[in-house]
Amino acid sequence: MARTTTFWFRFAVAGIALLCAGQLLAEPGQDVAVIVNPKNNVDNLSMAELAKIFRGERQYWRANLPVLVLLRTPGSDEREVVLRNIFRMTESQYKQYWISRIMRAEATSPPAELYSSGMTKEGVSSIPGSIACINASDVKPGVKVVRINGRLPGETGYPLH
Amino acid sequence: MVFLSVIIPRHISFLLVLLLATVTAGAQTTAQTEQSETVKALLTRIDKLEQRVAELEAGKNAASTLQPNGQSQGSQIPKAELVEDSLAAQIHDDHLQNGRGVEPHFPSMQLHGFGDVDFSATDEHGSNSGFTLGQFVLHVASPLSKRVAYFGELSFTAGPTSYTADVERSIIRYTYNDYFKLSFGRYHTPINYWNTAFHHGLWLQTTISRPEMIRFGGRFLPVHFLGMLAEGNIPSGPLGLGYEVGLGNGRAGTISRAGDAGDINSNRAWVARISSRPTAWRDFQIGGAVYRDKITPVPALTGSPTFGEWISSAQIAWTHETPELISEFANVHHRDDLTGTIYNSQAYYVQLAYRLPWEQRKWKPYYRFEYTHVPAAEPLFSSTNFEVTDLVGSTAGVRFDITDFAAFKWEYRHTKHKPTDPPVNGVFVQTSFTF
Repeated sequence: MARTTTFWFRFAVAGIALLCAGQLLAEPGQDVAVIVNPKNNVDNLSMAELAKIFRGERQYWRANLPVLVLLRTPGSDEREVVLRNIFRMTESQYKQYWISRIMRAEATSPPAELYSSGMTKEGVSSIPGSIACINASDVKPGVKVVRINGRLPGETGYPLH
Repeated sequence: MVFLSVIIPRHISFLLVLLLATVTAGAQTTAQTEQSETVKALLTRIDKLEQRVAELEAGKNAASTLQPNGQSQGSQIPKAELVEDSLAAQIHDDHLQNGRGVEPHFPSMQLHGFGDVDFSATDEHGSNSGFTLGQFVLHVASPLSKRVAYFGELSFTAGPTSYTADVERSIIRYTYNDYFKLSFGRYHTPINYWNTAFHHGLWLQTTISRPEMIRFGGRFLPVHFLGMLAEGNIPSGPLGLGYEVGLGNGRAGTISRAGDAGDINSNRAWVARISSRPTAWRDFQIGGAVYRDKITPVPALTGSPTFGEWISSAQIAWTHETPELISEFANVHHRDDLTGTIYNSQAYYVQLAYRLPWEQRKWKPYYRFEYTHVPAAEPLFSSTNFEVTDLVGSTAGVRFDITDFAAFKWEYRHTKHKPTDPPVNGVFVQTSFTF
C-alpha cells in the first residue's frame, strides 16, 4: 500500500512540475513597436498619452493634423497587446467602448482595422496623421518608431509586449 | 497507511473525473476556439506571405543591380508586385482595406440602432402589468470633412394609438482641435452625467430605468437643449480637464420640453460644465455644471409670473465595472419674478454595480438609491401642470449580457412618491440591444 501511495504522490508532483515548467519555458511575447508617419514630429509618448490617442480622447497631433489610429484585426498578436496594455479591455469591452463613444458623439467611427502588418505599414507610411502598432521585427523603412516612456522596443522596461 | 493508500487514489480519480467534466463542458467553446485559431493562423500566413513578397522584391532589385548588360531580369523571377497585387485583390472586401485605403472618405456614415422590450408589474392602484415595446432608436454619425461631422438621434416611441417620432439629437460640429469644438443643434443638456453618457441607448446603461431626476419626459432637469455648444479639453496634464459651454433656448412653455420651435421668451438659457478625467484613474470622471434660464410657463400660472432658474449640479462616475459607481446631485433654484419668493428643490442618486468575475463576466448586480425633494409650495414643480414627485426610491437588479450587444435586466423597485402616498413595489424585466 505504501508503494501505491508513493506512486500517486510522485505522479501528482510530476504533473504539477511539468505544468510549471511549461509556463516558465513559454516563449515570451515579442515587443510591439508604435509607429507613426515619418513626417510626424512626435518622437516620444508616455503610456498615458498613448492610451488617450488610441482611446480617441486626443484626436489631433496639432491643429491641422488629425490622428488616425490603425489597428490589426481580431486574432493578431499586435491587437492583443494593444487591447491588453493600452486599452486594458477585452475584445467585447473594446467593441462596446466604441459604440458608446459614437453614441455620445465623441467619435464618428472606431479605428480602422487592417489584416496584415504589411497593410498597416503601408497605411502609416502614406497617411501623415496615422499611428499603429506592429511587431518590432516587422518594422521596415518608411515608418518612424516612437519611444514609449522614453524606451524603444527591445530595451529593458519597454511596456508593450 | 491503508487509509491513505485508499484516499489518495480516490482523490486523484476525483480530480481526473473533474478534469474530464471540465473538458466536456469546455467542448461547447471548442468550436469558437478553433475558429479563433484558424483566424490567427490565416493572419500569420498573410504576414509570412508579405515577408516573402518583400524578400522576392529585394532579390529582384539585387538581381537587376547585378545585371551587367543593363537588361531587366523581371521576366526570369517571380513578379513580386503582381504577387502582392493579386494577393491584395483576392482578399479584398468591404472590411479588408489595403493600407492606403483606410484614409477617411467624406461623407461617410455609421448607423447604429438601439431597442428594448420590457415587462412590468407593480402593486400601484389601477396599474396593469404587461409587456411594452420600448423606444426604437436610430443613431447616425457622419463625418462630412476632416473637421466637420454630423450626429443625429431619432426615436420612435409606442403610444396608445400610434408611434411618436422624435428628433432627440441633431448636431453639426466643427472641430478646430482638441481644445475647441463648436457645434449647433439639439443636444442632451450637459447638466448631468447620465444625460450625456447614455442618451437613448438603454443597452448602454446598467439599469432598466433612468434616475427620476433625469427621466425622459421629466421636469426636474431640462433633458434637451437647443442652441450652440463650445467644448474641448483644457490643457491640464494629468488632471484631464474638459469644458462645455452652451447657449440656447432653454425650457419651453411646457417645462419638460426644449424650445425646439423657438424660444418662449427673449432670454437665452446658458449652461457650463467642467469635468476632470484624471490620467491616473482610468474610467473615472468628476464634474460640476451650472444652468441659467428664464421660465415662462404655458398655460400661465395665477398672476402670470415668470421664474428665474438656476440649476447647479455635481457628478462623480467610475465606470470601471469592478466596481461601478455613479452618483449625482442637483439643486434647482426658482425665483418668482412677481413676488421674489425663492424655492430650492434637490435631487440625488447613488448607483453601485459590480461585474462578477465568473461566467465570462456576464452578470452584473446593481443597486440604486434616489431621492427627490420638492418644497410643497413650489409653484412650477408642484402645480398640476408641472408636477414633480417628491420621491424616495430603491432599485435593485441584475444585468446579464447575453452577447456583446444584447442584455437581459431584472429589476425590483420600491418607491414612495409622496410622504402621504403608500409605497409602490414593482418588478421589471427588460431585454435591450444595439445593432
